[in-house]
Amino acid sequence: MKQLSGAVHDLASELVSALRGGDHSVAGTTGSLGGDEALTVAAVRTLGADVLLPSTLLSRPAPEPDVAVCRAAVHAYPPGPQSSPTVAWSHWAMERALARVTAPPHAPSPADALGIAATTGPPDAAGTTDAGPDVTALREASWQALTHQLSVLAALAVPGADSAVATEAARRPVDVSRGFVRAVRRRDWLQAAGAGRWLAVVDGVPPTLGLDAGLRFTLRMGGADARVALHVHAALLMRANDTRPAAARRGGGA
Amino acid sequence: MTEPSDIAVMHEVGDRAIAWLHRNQDGFRPRQDDSTSDFEVKDRLKPIGELALIGKVLFREGVAGSRQAALTRQLLDTAWRDHLDGGKVLTWMQQQEPLSPIPFEIYVPFHELGYEEPAFEATLRSVHTLESWSAMETPPVRRLGISAFERRFGLPRSITTEAATAATWLGRRPEPWTVEMNVGYAVTHTVFHLTDWGENPGGLPDDLAEYLAQWLPAWVDDWLDIGHWDLLGELLVVDACLPEPALDPVAWRAFAEARTEDGAMPAQRGPLPEGRREDVFDALYHPTLVAAFASVLATSRAMGDLRAPAGSGAA
Repeated sequence: MKQLSGAVHDLASELVSALRGGDHSVAGTTGSLGGDEALTVAAVRTLGADVLLPSTLLSRPAPEPDVAVCRAAVHAYPPGPQSSPTVAWSHWAMERALARVTAPPHAPSPADALGIAATTGPPDAAGTTDAGPDVTALREASWQALTHQLSVLAALAVPGADSAVATEAARRPVDVSRGFVRAVRRRDWLQAAGAGRWLAVVDGVPPTLGLDAGLRFTLRMGGADARVALHVHAALLMRANDTRPAAARRGGGA
Repeated sequence: MTEPSDIAVMHEVGDRAIAWLHRNQDGFRPRQDDSTSDFEVKDRLKPIGELALIGKVLFREGVAGSRQAALTRQLLDTAWRDHLDGGKVLTWMQQQEPLSPIPFEIYVPFHELGYEEPAFEATLRSVHTLESWSAMETPPVRRLGISAFERRFGLPRSITTEAATAATWLGRRPEPWTVEMNVGYAVTHTVFHLTDWGENPGGLPDDLAEYLAQWLPAWVDDWLDIGHWDLLGELLVVDACLPEPALDPVAWRAFAEARTEDGAMPAQRGPLPEGRREDVFDALYHPTLVAAFASVLATSRAMGDLRAPAGSGAA
């Protein structure tokens, strides 16, 4: 396990570097992890769709080695009938991200690229359809549990996210903001970073939250964990790239 | 809508707390015997001031019930006649420290309840005209409190409510994730002063009420988790002062379960204070007063909501 957490840390650090405009070679982010392919695939499955985040956020083509290892991770760790909704959603997000980065330009339905049915098809082993796994538990969760679950699924917080998870996050911006406060107070930096990343993509965040300052504070206090740094840099990048009118952007605060 | 069983939980917290305070009222006596130093006497006036401010609210709120109201009235009577010697103890401190706001802050709620000490008032009105009174260096929330007591007593204001509020932590509505314990107490006391200790919830400006409605649930969750019942109790008072109080049943049930067997509220989770009777009193009186305060306000709000016709919103 220690080996895996080390590989996850290294991979997340590479992704942070790529998001910050560092060298992103054709060998891809995953190319630098060394020769243990099984470990690399496991690390990729842990970070999920975020392995393709530089391509998603910076509108760059995804390096083929990254795409290949993501495909390998999707096939190596399919969710089963007993999988939690979190695992099922993480898997769904990887498939979505792969479809997005491998779609030909202006393709009407990127979902076809992976052979995923564009409309609601028959559920697979995890009860998943293209609309995504079940969100009933998330919909009924207290604000504390909602924030915790969303932070685990922060890889789904990307611009224009149209998942049912994103819909739940968008429906409860004040609840997720409270969860961010709670996470920072508890010094749970990973949860704070994940919640903050969701708040970067939803409307209706109370301005008094001070989201930008909160993201920077989280990075300063918890950024030694590369997964924290990854979520915070993703959030900051999405807020910087947000081209909506200022009035629609909330939560800036001081 | 708060369920009747939840209201019963809230109500019982206050009922038991007031009974404990009444049984232990001798602990409020500032001079226990001849060995009590003058410094200690002055220091022990603070609990009497808190008793007066909160006791006045307990007495005023009709929901307390006749037994609670009678016990509270006896507590306040004893405090004024016996512990403060009909106000002479306040005059004594005023002679020693004319510019201290402490005797004034204690006098105001007693005066509102109908108690009087003309000599104290005459000196107060004289000292209050000094430039030094307004210039006294105090933390912003204390300055807001002095301004509120001036308003309540009908003295010219040394600072407006708006200016005093703007200088407080809450007045600036800072990042809610930075709240630590001392900030928490500054927030609760800012609300207490702005609402005349819960008597006038409309005194809370709309922007602060909105800010608190957004972030108070996160703070309640936090201090509930920490098990700091004293600050949690004050946060539950703040909740009851909001236009639409949450009256969170989870928080209230945990708060109620934190009581000691004899009805006192410990300051925080962990071993109960023990030792000398006076020391136990000193450790318990404040959270117990706060528990009574929160209970009476929350019960009143919940009952008001029950009585309000459907669709009319919070009373």
